Amino acid sequence: MTVLELVKPPAPAPVPVERPKNRTDFYVAVSLTTVVLALLAWNITGFPTASDDEGTYLAQAWAVQNGKGLAHYTYWYDHPPLAWIQLAVGAWLPGLIAPSLLAVAAGRIAMLPLQAAGLLLVYVIGRRIGLPRWAAALGLLTYGLSPLFLTMGRQIYLDSFAVVWILAALALALSPSKHLWHYAAAGAAAAIGVLSKETILVILPAVLVALWQNTARSTTRTWAFGSFASGLVLVGCFYPLYALLRGELFPGEGHVSLFGAIQFQLGSRSGSGSIFEGGSGANSLLHSWMYYDSVLLIAGAVATIAGLALRRLRPVTVAGAILILVALRPGGYLPAMYVVQVLPFFALAIAGVLFYALSRLQHWWKWTAIALAVVLAAVVVAPRWYVGDRRALTANDNAAYVQAAHYLRAQPPSTIVVDDVLWLDCVNAGYAEDRVLWFYKLDLDSEVAARLPGGWRDVDYIVSSPALRQDPGTLPTVTALLRNSTVIESFGSADGVIEIRKVVKEPS
Amino acid sequence: MTLAAAIMIFVSLVLAAFAAVTLWWTMHAWRTPETLAGTRFAPPDGEQHLTFSLLLPARHEKAVLEHTVERLLRSTHEAFEIIIIVGHDDPETTEVAHRVAATAPARILVVTDHNEQKNKPRALNTALPYVRGDVVGVFDAEDQVHPLLLEHVDHAFRATGADVVQGGVQLINFHSSWYSLHNCLEYFFWFRSRLHLHAKKGFIPLGGNTVFVRSDVLREANGWDGTCLAEDCDLGVRLSSRGKKVVVAYDSTIVTREETPGSVGALLKQRTRWHQGFLQVLRKGEWRRLPNWRSRMLARYTLTSPFLQAFSGVVIPVGVAIAIWAQLPVLVALFTFLPVLPMAATLMFQIVGLHDFGREYELRIRWHHYAKLVLGAFPYALVLSTAALRAVWREYTGRRNWELTAHVGAHLPAVEGAAA
Repeated sequence: MTVLELVKPPAPAPVPVERPKNRTDFYVAVSLTTVVLALLAWNITGFPTASDDEGTYLAQAWAVQNGKGLAHYTYWYDHPPLAWIQLAVGAWLPGLIAPSLLAVAAGRIAMLPLQAAGLLLVYVIGRRIGLPRWAAALGLLTYGLSPLFLTMGRQIYLDSFAVVWILAALALALSPSKHLWHYAAAGAAAAIGVLSKETILVILPAVLVALWQNTARSTTRTWAFGSFASGLVLVGCFYPLYALLRGELFPGEGHVSLFGAIQFQLGSRSGSGSIFEGGSGANSLLHSWMYYDSVLLIAGAVATIAGLALRRLRPVTVAGAILILVALRPGGYLPAMYVVQVLPFFALAIAGVLFYALSRLQHWWKWTAIALAVVLAAVVVAPRWYVGDRRALTANDNAAYVQAAHYLRAQPPSTIVVDDVLWLDCVNAGYAEDRVLWFYKLDLDSEVAARLPGGWRDVDYIVSSPALRQDPGTLPTVTALLRNSTVIESFGSADGVIEIRKVVKEPS
Repeated sequence: MTLAAAIMIFVSLVLAAFAAVTLWWTMHAWRTPETLAGTRFAPPDGEQHLTFSLLLPARHEKAVLEHTVERLLRSTHEAFEIIIIVGHDDPETTEVAHRVAATAPARILVVTDHNEQKNKPRALNTALPYVRGDVVGVFDAEDQVHPLLLEHVDHAFRATGADVVQGGVQLINFHSSWYSLHNCLEYFFWFRSRLHLHAKKGFIPLGGNTVFVRSDVLREANGWDGTCLAEDCDLGVRLSSRGKKVVVAYDSTIVTREETPGSVGALLKQRTRWHQGFLQVLRKGEWRRLPNWRSRMLARYTLTSPFLQAFSGVVIPVGVAIAIWAQLPVLVALFTFLPVLPMAATLMFQIVGLHDFGREYELRIRWHHYAKLVLGAFPYALVLSTAALRAVWREYTGRRNWELTAHVGAHLPAVEGAAA
């Protein structure tokens, strides 16, 4: 029995011809990804300097692994937890294989599979917005070889999870088979992206543009949107549901809440100033990004704006344009890892605009343009990227942390105040988990303060690192500890020095 | 407590899997634009080769019978006869039947069913010896049949070499009440989408009308099962098991239009009958003869699914209520929400379906219809599960009589209005 197939479709749809499967795309994407991944992995423990945020997320992943809830301190809905839940799946492995590594450095290795997925997705999206192989490959390489990616792509940032999932959502929304379940999966992937890092929500319109374009003149458009909405809403609602089930959805006396946290993030967080204003937080952040890679940022921004005029590129350029607008908004808060979300869209915009520009030129104009692009790449891009990538592959910026971690491991466990980077190293070395304290929690988390009835005198050691010294005087207990302690060991030099300080408890 | 949690998690996973599979199959036609194109009825080639005998059992249907026959007579096909089957104990309908037969004596034959216990399959079997056409078509007395339908079916038989052609049926009076909205959508999803999947997989429970079978195939299969409450489903299963070729064709312009049961009580009775019929077909076990394991599993699943569906329609909301109020551990509570995912997605697709339904049938769907759809989902699930429980109870207490659905013709003005 068969279903009635005598049907002639209303529009003569192209009959899919069974051809031997062409695997060229697969080989191109996988081999390029392998190359970039090798560069990413090389010296991943040495560069860049372990940051406090990395330690935070890794410690939260550790809490998930060990069944201690979503964080080892009170989880206050600062970020949705899906990114470090994913991190928890892989973060235990590197430490098992190479236990002598700094915990944060080992955790970075767990980011590699994720970044591989991101690189492959950039290629897939490139192909699905109509780019030929060379242009999709160019997009992948522009993304992967940028010193900014080789720096921030190594670090344990929630944004990396979010951006990979939103890339997956885009790729699925652009599915060539236009399968209803691909659209549902696109919605689910977008929801996972948002639950990995909430800020990715702003580029959801780009996914909708992709969906709209891909279902144009299709008989199933309304179903496609219904399917996408189902995936998005139903997966997304698990987060508020979690809060609801814990009785923490709405603000109330004596407990944290999801809405309270959202209010704080949107309203109370102090802005970083305007990006154009010299000396503002946002401006110096932009400079630090430009320091790593001005090429991708400038060319990408230009290509994004130009690419808005090209229909096929719009899913990518709308994402990039929204991210530019958000960064430019005056007085908003701009985090350092913001740029992680921007990079793949800029890279794709560059490759796309280049392809569409070349395809519109004729004969020798075309060859002149190609020659110009090659010369520019060789003279402007290559030297800058060479310097940046070389630094990523050779610098050893974590030596002081490694030495401090080794020193702490050799000591008998005690009550110790550290920054987020060293926390997991201490816990792994056998320090009681509730006697290793993140320095800022001493003053900001009443539950932690309660562990120290005698105040700072209950602390045996404090490890002073750049992160801890960042805002001197704002945390009274930390200030007291620094004042009443003596250096017994120090690693590194100048600004980056890490000191092990013993707390002097006798009243002076 | 751990045991209770484990049971909760297990039940949630099973329900979620069931709901997901059902949703997956229900959405079959819309999976890709290609599958959707593949479900359309082909335009006829203008030739007419087959002869049709259209069976029209009518029992206490004097209100709608005349109109139905008039519409059948308007058919553009040249070669068909209508056999109206009336009961010997139903003089009013008999009178109407003879009156309309007199208007077209060459086309219409009235046959009287003398069976003591009356039901639809027995009435159809009574008419079978009188059949002269190549193909037997079955309609209900309240059906609104499109004049072009027979030409399409003629072409479908010839183009595919099918033994059975199932045409589309659509309840149309969605505006009548809150449950008729859900009832209409059930038909829409079933004929527009799900039935095509069944035809493809080789196991198909046929519908009760607008079903066409080659006369020789039907005689070979000994007609309908007079004791079965779902004779249509049973015939489909028997023909499927014998490897007969069934094709489904759907086109919103030529579907047969019907009306929903007139009250919740009538709906409950009708659904009880179907469910009980499904149960009987399951117990008869003809489906075990299906050629491969996959279609046997599909048969088992399809025949039991009314009960699973009824069960889950009630258990899922209850489970969620427990999860919210009973202070379960958060992880366990989150698990109980898993089946809600496909369930809510189903509702989401019903909203899209209602929109599509309105577009295909040129009906005006207003915002309050969408509101009714959402608000009525749980009460409708309650009705279905009550019917399922009733069906099980009746079957196992041996009450197998036919509870008839009365028709008042609520779909007629609606159709006329829509066509205008």
